[in-house]
Amino acid sequence: MRWNYGHYTSLLKKNTQPIFCLVFIMWTVIGLSQTKMSTTEANTLKTLVKSLADKTETITSDFTQYKHLDFLSNDIESSGKLTFMAPNLVKWEYIAPFAYAIIFKDKTIFINDGGNKSNIDVGGNKLFEQLNHLITSSVRGDMFDDEKFDILFFKENGQSLVHFMPKDPKFAEFINAFHIKFNEIGEVEEVKMIEPSGDYTQIVFNNRKTNQPLSDADFTH
Amino acid sequence: MRILLTSLVLFFLTGCAYYPKRNNFKAISIPVYQQKHLNHYFSDTTKDYVYKAKIEAFDKTFGGLFIIKKIDLNHHRVVFSTEMGNTIFDFTFQQDEFKVNRILEEMDKKILITILKQDLQALIIENPFITEAYSFEDKVVVESEILSKKHYFYLQDMQLQKIVRVKNGKPNVTLEFNDIEERQVENLEITHQNIKLKISLSAI
Repeated sequence: MRWNYGHYTSLLKKNTQPIFCLVFIMWTVIGLSQTKMSTTEANTLKTLVKSLADKTETITSDFTQYKHLDFLSNDIESSGKLTFMAPNLVKWEYIAPFAYAIIFKDKTIFINDGGNKSNIDVGGNKLFEQLNHLITSSVRGDMFDDEKFDILFFKENGQSLVHFMPKDPKFAEFINAFHIKFNEIGEVEEVKMIEPSGDYTQIVFNNRKTNQPLSDADFTH
Repeated sequence: MRILLTSLVLFFLTGCAYYPKRNNFKAISIPVYQQKHLNHYFSDTTKDYVYKAKIEAFDKTFGGLFIIKKIDLNHHRVVFSTEMGNTIFDFTFQQDEFKVNRILEEMDKKILITILKQDLQALIIENPFITEAYSFEDKVVVESEILSKKHYFYLQDMQLQKIVRVKNGKPNVTLEFNDIEERQVENLEITHQNIKLKISLSAI
């Protein structure tokens, strides 16, 4: 079972012994080292991320992806390369342990699955358009849209962590929450997509380069 | 009229012939095979069986990750997700129970779930109850009923190579296990003969 805030509070209500509660609270605080940001801190982060996003024309970055399913012995690990060009061109390319590339370009998704190429026209498919927009936004971290998400701001081990919970119930059925970690200059270091079951996909970025010259040729399959 | 009747009789005698007879299988005694693990490819609870999947369905091709995990005795989880990690379906097979833990709304169709349930149950079952056993060329073929459908397990040197689901005496679905290394299937294919559906899995 995956523990959330509701489980903790209900357990606290059931166990009224003060010592147990104290130990439990300390464990929770120390174990997670996660505190809520103040409104000022949250606004500062939003401004930092947005101004960096506005200045970011291109991004290239390596990534490692961990698919976590509670019943597995190990997370499924894959790695690859991300290429982004403003305003909305994104290429996710998996290199190991399989070759697979997906390009989000206007209203079409281009796929190269180990040499088998295909296109999917997603024009008119609201869910895919939303997904495309979210992927583009999450790469830059610029997802601070109160109309689309319930947003919570945290500090965790010196980093900023923001939880984005989609308000659209149709989308929430697909992804329950995005947890995005930012470094001190407002770059996305990690994206965690959590499914309603609690299973998640964690993507950790490294070797990130911004505003290097890229062209349309970098987004062909 | 007589010709028509003769043709019909001939059709039923040949067309609906019993699968073993049609393939010249020779009956052998069962007990030797009853005790054995027929399919041990997904039988280790300490292992995660992860495959890159290619599904060709009705002239469309799409890929993803196919995950099989033995949780306990007669208890498996089977999950199919996109490469980016979003779950498309998640099934539990436990004893005789089948449970859909999650399925993408667009795929939540009874006929599709029934097809997947039948295919995947045949894929993971370790010790099906054997009703008949035969020899065929250098192989042993054992017959079993899975979800009320006749299945034939082809074994060579006690290693499972193929499972054939039979309908009206003819192969309906074939599950082929290829490139077997130390109890691990590197490549496997599930091919439907009566509908355009083929699932190819490669271990990663």
